[in-house]
Order: sequence, then C-alpha cells, then structure tokens
Amino acid sequence: MTMSNVQLSRRDKLLLHCAPIRNERVDDRALRRALEHARDSEAFAIQQSFDKAAVALVQAIPIPKEITQWVPTETFIALTRRPWKKYAQNPALLATGIAVLVIAIVAVFQLVERLNRFPGEPTARRLLTTAASIHSVMLDPVKTDAGALGDFLFMKHRLVHYDVPPEFADLKTLGCRVFDDEEGRRVAQVWVIEKKMQFFMFPAERDPQTGKAKEFSGWRSIEQEHWAAVVKEQNGVCFMAALRGSSNDLAPYISKPKS
Amino acid sequence: MAKEEKQDLLQLYRFCFLMVADAAKAQEIFHATLREAAQRAADGDAPGNRLWFFRNARWRCLEAGGRALQAEDVDPQEGELAESAPLQIEKLESQQFAVWISAAPEPQRTALALFYLDEFSYCELLSVTELKPPELSKLLAAGRRQFQAWLDATVPST
Repeated sequence: MTMSNVQLSRRDKLLLHCAPIRNERVDDRALRRALEHARDSEAFAIQQSFDKAAVALVQAIPIPKEITQWVPTETFIALTRRPWKKYAQNPALLATGIAVLVIAIVAVFQLVERLNRFPGEPTARRLLTTAASIHSVMLDPVKTDAGALGDFLFMKHRLVHYDVPPEFADLKTLGCRVFDDEEGRRVAQVWVIEKKMQFFMFPAERDPQTGKAKEFSGWRSIEQEHWAAVVKEQNGVCFMAALRGSSNDLAPYISKPKS
Repeated sequence: MAKEEKQDLLQLYRFCFLMVADAAKAQEIFHATLREAAQRAADGDAPGNRLWFFRNARWRCLEAGGRALQAEDVDPQEGELAESAPLQIEKLESQQFAVWISAAPEPQRTALALFYLDEFSYCELLSVTELKPPELSKLLAAGRRQFQAWLDATVPST
C-alpha cells in the first residue's frame, strides 16, 4: 500500500501499518505522531476501513455455549502490583537512584562546607596547628583578665583593635606573645587558664585590589586534628579561641552574647 | 470476575479460533489455558496480566500443529488495498477469515490474529508476538495485501 497523497516518512509508514483501529489502543508516542501526520492520507483511510471490516468479522466469531457457560467466576489474573515496587526492582533505576542519592549527599556536604567558609580560614587553620604544638613556657607571663589585653597589646606592641571579645573577656590569662607569621603579619597569641584555651588575634584577610578587610559576621567554627576553634572578625582583626576538644566545648562561650 | 476480564477470556477463545480455524480445537486450547491459569492461581502464582493467557494459548496453538482446513491457494502476487475491500469482507463468514489467518506462516499468523482481535495496544502486540517493530509492520502490511489478493480471487467485487 502506498500513502502517496500525503508525504509520510518511512518511519511513519512503518508505524502506520501497525496502527490499532481504536485510538485508546495507541500507547506509543511515535505512533501517535505518525497518526497525526496521516490524518489526511487517503491510503491510510483505506487501510483503516479495511481493518475495521476485518475486526468486525472477527468479533462475529460465535462463542460456543460451552465457553460462555463455563467461563469461571474466579479471577485468574493477579492484581496489579504497586508500580513503585516494580520500579524499585528495576536494576537500572535502582543504580540511578543510588547514584543520585550519593551525589545529593556530596552536594549537601560541599554546601555545608562552603557555608562555613570564611575569609582568613587558611590562616586560622595554620594557627590552630601552632596552638597544638606550642608550650606555655614559650610565652611571656601575663596574668590578667583577657579583656584587659587589648590595651596591653596596643601599649606594648602598637597593635590596634587586637581586642578580646566580651564572650571571652572574663577569662584569666597565663601568658602572651606577639610574632610575625609566614606572611609577615603580626599575630598575638594568649594562653588562658581555663581549659588550657589559647587565643589568637591576627589581621583579617584583605581584598588585594582595594586593600579593605574582608568582613564576616558572627562566629565561625573550625575543627582540625582533635582541636577546635571559633573565629570572629571585628574592626579588621580576627579573634580566634582554640582548645583541644570539639566545637561543643566552645559552644557555651559563644551561645550567649555578652555586652 | 470483572466484566472486562470475562470479555478478555472470550477474546481468548476467538484468538484460539483464528489460530487453528477449528472450533473444537480452539475450545480445547482455551480450556487447557484456563486450567493452567487456575492451577497457577491455586499455587499462589496467578498470571500477572492478561497477556500471559494469549502467550500461553499461542504456544498451545502452535503445538496443535496440523490444520483441518486449508485456505484456497491464490496467486501469491500481492495487491493494493481496494476501497471496496470492506464490502468484500462483509460477504465473508468468520470461519473463512479464520481459515485464511490460520493458513499464514508463523509469526505472521499470530500477528494477524492478535491484531484483528482489536484487543491490544501497539506495545502489547510487540510484547505478545515477540517481534520487533519493523518485523511486525512488515508482516501486517504483507498480510493485508495477501488478504486483498485472496479476496479478489474468492470474493470479486462487483
């Protein structure tokens, strides 16, 4: 049969040869598209009339009385299983699902890590290594309230805004030192009696173009090799409190802001 | 039993009849298929869908082998579908159509029988016949043309 009056592709013709008589039997997208293309095809109309007549002939096949009487009342066809179960058992979908889950978990981890990043984090981590390796004997003994160190550092070392935040200002200090880090920036290190805590104060990271300090709000936590620290930026200087333990050990100090 | 399901089972008989063109044989295959379904249901392994019935019956029909009736031989040359074909088909008895289909070689016989039952979607047809789309298309197209040639030889249009 040709379908010459309407231009149909080879694929359309191939599909149309299998076109069911009833539209509700069309369950294939390509076939549906081919049927649309063949809407005005005379040849296809002839094929459909031909098929309809043949179907009518088949439906006229008489059913023997024995069959109509015998057809059992019990159901032999199992109930349709839940589609989700069927899909879940498909190895391809299962593998895809696991892959998507892993990607989602990695993405969440990366997002959390990115949210927790802050300017000056590399310096803070470096100083945390210093905290883990230094001994108190290397510090100059300074026994006072941590809150008073700001003036001490300004007076003795001319370090402006190297202040201990109110959250840690009441703690008693043991010693202190000022040194230059690898990049020549002035770092103040303070040893505290409570929990053998250490404070570090160092210049905040600066924008290389404008030279302006990169600010960030609130406290940020870092953990590294059994050491934990909380960092805060104020007036272009970062303050870091570090101790051996976890972030939970520092949480009580920063949970209630003090004036 | 749902009305639809009963309808499916009656179509199953028609399918058997188209495949073997013999009412007694068709009935026997129909009963054998239902017996197996009942047995499976009793064992807690009821057939999952209606396609199972047609697949099972198909293989029984193929096993049944020999045919009691043979369609008249016609010139193997295939003709174009005629506009008058529906009128020619109307003059036929169902039995004649079944004889013609049952005489077709496999898998064309199964493809034509299932297609003209008008019971299956395109994808279901591919599934039950176990054919690829181009194969099914070729068999149905050739079947139509051969049937037209047979019609022209046996029921000439006036």
